[in-house]
This record gives sequence, C-alpha cells and structure tokens, in this order.
Amino acid sequence: MRGKFVTALHYVVQTTTVDLLLVLALVGLLYGVVSFAQQWLFKYRPVAELEFTLWALLRYTLFSLMRGLLAYGLSLLFTLLVGYWAAKDRWAEMVLIPLLDILQSIPVLSFLPGLILGLSAAFPESNVGLELAAVLMIFTGQVWNMTFSYYYSLKCLPNDLQEAATAFRMGWWARYRYVELPFATLGLVWNSMMSMAGGWFFLMINESYRLGEKDFRLPGLGSCMSVAVERADFTAMSWAMLAMALMIVGLDQLIWRPIMVWAQKYRVQEGGSSLRVSSWFLEWLRHSRLLRTLMWSVRRLWSWRVDKCRSVLVSVGFSKAFKRSVWALSRLALVGLVSLFAYTAWHLGMLIADISWDTWLFLLSAAVLTLGRVLATVVLATLWTLPAGLAIGLSRRLVSWLQPLVQLAASFPAPMLFPLVLALFRWAGVSLEWGSILLMLLGSQWYILFNVIAGALAIPENLSEVARSYRMGLWTRFRLVYWPAILPYLVTGWVTAAGGAWNTSIVAEYVTFRGEVLAATGLGAEISSSAEQAQFARLAASVVLMASVVVLWNRFLWRRLARLAESKYSLSQ
Amino acid sequence: MSATSAPRPVEPLCEARNVSHSFTLPNGRPLKVLEDINLAIFPHEIVALVGPSGSGKSTLLRILCGLVKPSSGDVLYHGQPFEDVNPGTAMVFQTFALFPWFTVLDNVRVVLQAAGYSASAVEARAQQVIRLVGLSGFEEAYPRELSGGMKQRVGIARALALEPEILVMDEPFSQVDALTAESLRAEVVRLWSAADRYPSSIVLASHNISEVVYLADRIVILSAQPGRIRTEIANPLPRPRSYHAAAFLDMVERLHDLITGSELPDLPATSPGRSPWSVEPLPQAGASEIIGLLEYLDSHGGSEDLFRIAYTTGRHFDQVIRIVAAAELLGFVDTPKRMVCLEPLGRQFLRADTELRKSIWSEQLLKLKLFHEIYDILQRHPEHALERDFVLETIIFRLPEEDYETTFRTFVNWARYGNLFAYDETRELLFLQ
Repeated sequence: MRGKFVTALHYVVQTTTVDLLLVLALVGLLYGVVSFAQQWLFKYRPVAELEFTLWALLRYTLFSLMRGLLAYGLSLLFTLLVGYWAAKDRWAEMVLIPLLDILQSIPVLSFLPGLILGLSAAFPESNVGLELAAVLMIFTGQVWNMTFSYYYSLKCLPNDLQEAATAFRMGWWARYRYVELPFATLGLVWNSMMSMAGGWFFLMINESYRLGEKDFRLPGLGSCMSVAVERADFTAMSWAMLAMALMIVGLDQLIWRPIMVWAQKYRVQEGGSSLRVSSWFLEWLRHSRLLRTLMWSVRRLWSWRVDKCRSVLVSVGFSKAFKRSVWALSRLALVGLVSLFAYTAWHLGMLIADISWDTWLFLLSAAVLTLGRVLATVVLATLWTLPAGLAIGLSRRLVSWLQPLVQLAASFPAPMLFPLVLALFRWAGVSLEWGSILLMLLGSQWYILFNVIAGALAIPENLSEVARSYRMGLWTRFRLVYWPAILPYLVTGWVTAAGGAWNTSIVAEYVTFRGEVLAATGLGAEISSSAEQAQFARLAASVVLMASVVVLWNRFLWRRLARLAESKYSLSQ
Repeated sequence: MSATSAPRPVEPLCEARNVSHSFTLPNGRPLKVLEDINLAIFPHEIVALVGPSGSGKSTLLRILCGLVKPSSGDVLYHGQPFEDVNPGTAMVFQTFALFPWFTVLDNVRVVLQAAGYSASAVEARAQQVIRLVGLSGFEEAYPRELSGGMKQRVGIARALALEPEILVMDEPFSQVDALTAESLRAEVVRLWSAADRYPSSIVLASHNISEVVYLADRIVILSAQPGRIRTEIANPLPRPRSYHAAAFLDMVERLHDLITGSELPDLPATSPGRSPWSVEPLPQAGASEIIGLLEYLDSHGGSEDLFRIAYTTGRHFDQVIRIVAAAELLGFVDTPKRMVCLEPLGRQFLRADTELRKSIWSEQLLKLKLFHEIYDILQRHPEHALERDFVLETIIFRLPEEDYETTFRTFVNWARYGNLFAYDETRELLFLQ
C-alpha cells in the first residue's frame, strides 16, 4: 500500500515538474517572440548598441535563434513548393534545376549588398528591412540542399508505390499527403538538420556588416562576436562562443533529436536498422500531462475538421478547367522567372562591361590563387580525416560516442573560431596568404570527415573478415579494402568540402582583427573588399568569376571523378 | 479458340478488345509487348494468365485496371469505356506495395479515405476486412514487422476494402514461401466463394502451374514477344481441389504440354515477321546455368522432363525453359516434346577439361550468326576492339523485337566464358582475345 502511494506520489511530482518546466519554456519562448517582434518594428536603427551582460547575451542568443528558425521556416516553405513543382512539371524541371544549381554555386555573401540596399530602402521607417535581409541571408545558406534532397526524393519514389496510389484512385492531395510526403520525410529531416547548421556559418557577417560608408548592426549573437573581435575582447568572445555552442547543443537535443526519432517511422528499408536513434527529451516530454491534453484536443479538433472537409480534400479530383488554369499559372510563373533571370543577367553584364582587361587579368590570377588554396585545403583535410575517419568508422564503440560530437563540432560556425587562430598567426608570424588555408580548413574539413566515417561504416563485415583471415598488414588492408570501399564517399566529401572552402575563402582571405584589415591575395578577398567598399562592378565580376569556376570545376572534374569512383568501386553489385 | 468465339448468355464484367501495346525503348524504338488481345472477364469466375516472361501478363493486367493506357484497342467495364482507373477493379501487387510508414490498419484506412468513405464507414469497413483476411491483432503492426505472407494478406485486405467487382492479382504469391502460398491460395478461394457479391471475379497472372490449376476456372496461355493469346482452356475440376488428385495432376500435365509446345517447338521456328537479316535471339541464361543444366542431365541419366527439372531445382519453369533453349541453341541438348536430352556434343563437353570445354564452347558460339558477325568485324578492325554502342546497334538492327540490353549482357557472358572476346566495363570496349 505504501509502495503504491510512493509510486503515485513520484508520478505526480514528475509530471508536475515536467509540466511546470514546459510552461516556463513556453513563457520564455513567448517573451522571445514578443521582444523579437518589437525589435523588428523598432524605429530604424542601423547600428544597435550592444551590451555585454549575461541577460543581454541571453536575449541576443534568442534573437539569433529566432532569425535562424524564421529562415528555416522560409527554407521549408520554399523547398516544399519549388521541390514539388520541379518534380512534377517537366518544363519547370528544365528551368528550375539548372537555375538552382547556379544559385547554389554563387557565394552566399554576394547576395548581401543587394538585399541590404533593396530592403532597407523598402522599409525606411523600421528595422524590418535589415532584419529581413539578415533572415534571407541565413535562408540562402540553408535552402539549396534541402530543395535538392526533396526534389530527388520525389523523383525516386518507388514505382510500385506510385502504381498502388493510382490503382487506389488517390487524388492529388491524398497522393501527396499519404505517399509522396512520407517518402521524402526522412531525407528532408536529415537535410534540415544539416541546413540549420550551415545557416549559422556566416552569422557574424549576416548580423553586422559594412557597406561602403554605412555600418549595419543587428542585436544578435553574431554581431556580439563581431564587436568582441573588433575590440579584441577575449572574455566577450569566449562568452559569445559558449552561447553559440549551447544554442547548437540545445537545438540538437530539444528539436532535432526528437524529430529524428519521430521520423524513423518513415524509414522505407525493410528489416531492422543497425542505428538506433533515441532522445531523452522525447521520453521526458511523454511524462507531461499538459502536453498530452493539448495533443488530444488538437487531434479532436483535427479529426472534426478533417471529417468536414475530408471528402473535399482527399478526392480533389479537379475539373478540367481547374487543371488547365493551374497549368497556365505555372507556365506564366516560369516565363516570369526566366525573364527575371534574363533581366538580372543582362544588368550584371552591363555592370561587368565596365571592368578593364587589366582588372580581369588580376581577378583571374586571384582566382587561380584561391583555387590553389581550395585544393591545398582539400588535401590537408584528407590527410588527417582519412585515418581519423577510418579509425572512428571501423570501431562500433568509437562511432557511437564520437559521431554526435563530430556533428556538433561541425555545426559550430567556423568563422567564430577565426580570431583565436589569427591571434596565433600573429604570435607565430604567419601571413594570411598561407594562414588563410588553415582558416578554410576549419570551415570545410568536417564534410570529408563525415563522409569517410559513413564510408567506413558501410564497409561490409565480410570484407573486413577477408582482410583479417588473409593476415593482411595495415597498409595492404588499406590499399586493397578500405581505400576502394570509401573512395566513392571520399569523392562526395571532396566535392562538398571544396564548395565549402570556396565559400569560406570570402571570410578567410579578408579579415578584420583588432580594428585592422588583414587581406590575402585571392578571389575571396576581392569579393569581401569590393562589397565593403561598395564597388559593385568589381563585386559582380568577382562573383561571376567564382561561380563559373565552381560550376566548371564541378562539371568537369568532380562529377567525372564521382562517376569513376561509383562505377569502379561501388559496393552494391 | 478465342474468348469471343464461344457465345455466352451473360454480359462480361470487363473486356479488352483488340488491345495492342508497345513500350518505347530508351533509344526511341517501340517494343511491342501485346498484340491484338481479346479477353473478356465474366461474372463469378477466376481467370489465370500464364506465359513466359515478356509475354506481357503484367502489362495486360495493368491495362485491365486502367493503370496503363493501351497503344490501341479498347477496355470496357460493363460495356462502357472508363476514364483513368477502372472503377470495378482493385489490384494486389507482386511486391505488396504497402506504404511502409503506415500500420496495417492505416494502410487499409488510407485507401478507403481516398475513395471518399465517411469517417465512420472507414473504421467499420477497415476492421471488417482485416478480420476477413485473418489479420486481427496485427492492426498496429508496421509492414516491416510482418512476414511476406502477412504482408500479402494486408495487400489483399486493402484491395477487398473497396468492394471491387474484379480482384486483379499480379503474381501475388511469388514472393511468399511455398507453404504460406498454399494456405493463402485456399484463403483466396474461400473469400471468393463466400463473397455474396464482391469480388465477383478474379484475374491473376502466375508463373506457377499448380497455382493456376488450383485457382482458375479458365486458363489463358500467352506467347512471348509480342504477347499474344495462344490458347485458352477451361478448368472444370470441382472445388475444393486437391493438389494430389489424379484429375488435378492430369490438368497440370496438359498445361505443361501446351506451354512447352509454344516455347520449345520441335520444328525450328520460322517466324514470318522476321527479316532475312535477323539472327538467332539469345535466350537469357548464363554460361554457368547452361553448364549446370548439362551436369544435372548427366547425373540424371542423360534426359529429364522439363518440369521435373524446374521442380527439383526449385526454379520457375520459364527460367528453366530459357536455359534449355540456350543449351539447345548451342547444340548441347535436344528437346523432343517435354523431355530434355543430352546430345553427344554435350557429353563430350562435360568430359572435357577446362581448356577443351572453352574451345568447344567458342566453336559453338561462332556457329551463331551474331557472334560470327561481331567476330568478323573485330578481326578486320585494326585494333581488334569495338565500342559497346556499336554492338548494341547491331543487336537492335538484327533483333528488333528483343531487349537489346539483356541480349548484350548474355552475349558478353557467353563470349567471356568461351574466351572469345573480352569486355572492358569501364571503357565499354569489346576486344578480341
């Protein structure tokens, strides 16, 4: 009897604690949203005064988080619409996919001047323009790989499921809701996680930037870090970095983990999976009575509402006229997009036309230098990640506790670490011409490490057993088994890392440290400096040059390498 | 004899009239899969389609369901053409095609919801069919937790939920183990005969002769490339049927004879459609399979019934037919009626060592026009090398009705075994050895 009582008491205490904490968190969130909205509608104030108190830091973290989440919301919306459109409409596919490919290879930061000038002109009275610009910048760092993943998922929906959907007369909505969206969910969740992490990369610049004579600064974690770097205040830097790290861990534990666990039900592969995903937070939430009641009422409301309009929604058969108007609308939108693109390209061309041959020659040599740095970065990264990744991936024990750590480390925006490394360079007397390689390494090495680990995990047990039973030495084993098995993964890692290195070059070749500007000769430095000095023609030329080098390089080298690795060393037979 | 010749007093439920269908191959050429099919499905009968791979059984089922629009001809439901999907059919898939993210119950519910049932009707009907197919207790299980047999039960429940007049089953039990398949067949017959109204009729495609004899009232035999209805026989055996009754076994024998008659004719085929350019098509069988067959025959006294071979090796008869046809093409076996007999050359081949085997093999290959032609070209070529695309084009030109990719794979497989040509996969080049 007593035992029962104690258990019941324990249960009540536990659920009450959970509920209480939940309410607290909700209140905090509400506060964040409200003060964030205030900041948006505040009188136009290009340079926010930053305080360095704990309370202020908490507020800044919340602000940056809100921007990231808002950008993610936009990315998701964009992905769901554009990915679906490209997958379903052959004409749209022909226009959208190459367009997205180009947009993807344009360095994120080159969108900045246009966005800032346009949006702050559109909202001269309030901060909306600047905030929107920051959100859109984060958005451009998140959206592309989400959209591509979603598009590819929709494109490779298994044939028999498609046929089943047709055979059972699923309308447009039912097909989307019950077949296509579930099939794409797992990939979408995974890429969302990656994108959210990638979105923080340029946070320091997204929240504080100089454009010609003008300074812009929004209250946030990134701008906090920028100011701290400018003042060379290492205590403030450490606090900002800590806040960033905590935000990333919090996002991972409180949002992505539970979602990953939930998304496991959309696994398509049959049979047991070797990788179990678990979340303590989800377990903990299950104790909440408040949440249960809430979910229950939402479900009630949902089923009531759905019952009302289910027959309409599910079998939206669509009249011929409706279909035709959708068709016409999408054609119109495509024509609009293409003409917008052509218009932009034409303007860009006009802008670039003023560039002299000498400048072109200089930019070209800068591009060659940066290319050299990118390659050096990839080589250096491979040198350490290959053995490390193999060691981690081949050991079940190491992988289980190191992989989450690696993921967190990779999510941390590398530019925030630059000041520390720069201080080190100063002390050791390393010039940025060479030092920028190390900075670029910080921003792109993780992609290779991830892929090597994934490749090592995919090596079948029997191949390792063969290697052991023939008593192969370490080198022979590497040459005959591991190297061929991970090569396709390694190539993928190289491609992404090279892309990341190009992107990082913009902040690695041109840095402000203790109030003075350090610059290396390179295309990244050209982009940064011309943006800062508002030399738009030069900026446009540099960006076009970088985008073309990236696209050509991808097309002619990486893709060929990937095909070779895939055909020769693919483990699936 | 054709379906339309015998006058019937009742109106057919569903009918295919003069249906022909072609797929477009990746190179833009059409590949004819069905030619001039006339087939009617009458109330309360089970119709089985049998025929080798490539006879278009599955395509014909999909055309009846409205999943595939035929290139020409009409499909009628109760005498009327329909838009999109046939309103009177529901399909059971060979690969189950269950939605892995839904539970058993939700898999059934979703179909009912899509059909516009009200919420209460969805619940009632879903529970009812789940009970009907014996899945009670598994409502909350996910497909990945179920065995193949249970999965197909869900597939059947899902199809029956919509109360279709015709249940269409595409090789429904080929991915289910033999014992479970037997019990599922009995279950299907039980459901069908107990149903007061729906499903009134069942159409199924199958590879398995005893399955067909067990289930069907009417058996339609298709021939391959392109699929035509060769013949149609009635199966009047009384139900319940037993796999071991003498009449049942007789029926199985009769069906075997009919199928071998069409697939391995005793006289060389002189197909009028083929141009004088054309060469022998290569039956899709690997060298090791052909040699395996010879070894098998040798250890079974030199000859064996074709269907016994299929039975003892646990293979589908149409696979065995392909292997036998390949061995016959190479001159290793002969096929009087349903028997497969080792020829003297086959015996000599088996007794030979590896080197001699390879030389016999390549000698036989060079008697085939396709190999001979490519061999000639390779010899005349300065580098003794040919691109894959060139060989593919030769195949397309010479064998317009075959799947050229498959033929090429078989071609390379045979040539490699005989050390005749080597093929470099990465450079896509064929060499003379």
